[in-house]
Amino acid sequence: MKIYLSLVIMMITACTAAYGQSSDPLVSNCILNAGPDAKYLKDFRVQLGKADNPGEPRYKTQMSLWKNTRYRFSLCNTEDSEGQLYLNLRDDANKLVLSSYDPETGKTYTFIDFICNKSGIYRLSFDFTAGMKGSGVGVVSMIK
Amino acid sequence: MKGNLFFILIVALILSVSCRNSSKNSSGFVFPDTDTIPLAEAEKLSAEAIADIANNIASPVEIANLLQVLSVPYSPDYLATSINVNRQPTDFDKALALGILGADLGYLNMYEKTATAINILSDIKKLAEGLKVGQFFDFDAIRRLSLNRSNLDSLLFLSVDSYTRIDKYLRDNGRGHLSALMIIGVWLEGQYLATQVIREYPHPVLRDRIGEQKIILNDLIMLAAPYCGRDAEFRKLCGYLQEIREKFRDIKISYTLGDPVSVEKDGGLVVEQTETSIVEMSDDQLAGLVEITGKIRNKMVINN
Repeated sequence: MKIYLSLVIMMITACTAAYGQSSDPLVSNCILNAGPDAKYLKDFRVQLGKADNPGEPRYKTQMSLWKNTRYRFSLCNTEDSEGQLYLNLRDDANKLVLSSYDPETGKTYTFIDFICNKSGIYRLSFDFTAGMKGSGVGVVSMIK
Repeated sequence: MKGNLFFILIVALILSVSCRNSSKNSSGFVFPDTDTIPLAEAEKLSAEAIADIANNIASPVEIANLLQVLSVPYSPDYLATSINVNRQPTDFDKALALGILGADLGYLNMYEKTATAINILSDIKKLAEGLKVGQFFDFDAIRRLSLNRSNLDSLLFLSVDSYTRIDKYLRDNGRGHLSALMIIGVWLEGQYLATQVIREYPHPVLRDRIGEQKIILNDLIMLAAPYCGRDAEFRKLCGYLQEIREKFRDIKISYTLGDPVSVEKDGGLVVEQTETSIVEMSDDQLAGLVEITGKIRNKMVINN
């Protein structure tokens, strides 16, 4: 009985340690899915309704990115999201540096690695494809 | 004001790009004149703009990661061990110390220095409780993850998330001055760590990272600006930030132009930026930054 109890406690502890880092399983899973070589930096939780006029991504934020660093942007959304979460990254001159969505082909990428060679403040814009409603998270990690 | 700064930056970049055929844009990054950031404007910073500024501060984890990549060994000498959390009489002291120790925690986590990290966690707990924001720190989970070295990512998430939630709570509850102090503390300690390391390990990548902090220093000053007249402690801190700003003034950051190159790999996209930023900083200027950062940071931690 004692052995059984110990095993149960050990399993609960291990699960809590591995997955209990966030009360939001979407965020936890997205961090885990970023890969073993990725180190977590930030996350941006995105929840949007359907857009009246789909166009520019609606959720906007910014962060500094530094030269000589490889960043990974992981994009995850809940199953009931009607669109796929995507990211546009613009530099401080508003130049589009990357997008995880190609509107011409409709292709989206669930992760993008960005090899940064210009330090500065970058604008991150998130939305769901076709301006659909959805709930998701964008996780920013560093790759060693 | 952020919008204006952004607009000015874009116009400056467009002008400099359109006037040159050379691939090198030498106009670079310059501080706006002090007069262009009037206090009244700074006071109007929206919650969104303040959150953006908080995001702009380089994570201490990034600095620590860079040190690891450069094979810089861990040293306890860089830590703010002189902070006595039982002798931080004012909220100003507590919030600043909370930021400084947060940066140290990031450094320790990255180097997996569990025992020291747990000691610092205990100090952070006391400071957070002193500011009545202890509820946002899941100390038990962070302590457990510190002991379990295989969960570095979870540990980093919990630590960063706790600070983010404290920061938001303080701003949402009319204690934005404490949030600003925490952010300034994080930045100052991160810069202190980098400037101390470069004395022994003068790697060009680290040197650039120190000089590049010019890009966000103005944001930090804007963050503190609404509170500079609040009391003597803030007045002194704002003066210190201006001293740091002066040391950065003649350091130039220029840019070369280019379009990003993308390739698909393993189901994802890899984008390599061909534009580059170049820091033009003399040895004397670097020495000035090392000196001023150390002086001010030590004044902040040796106040007990």
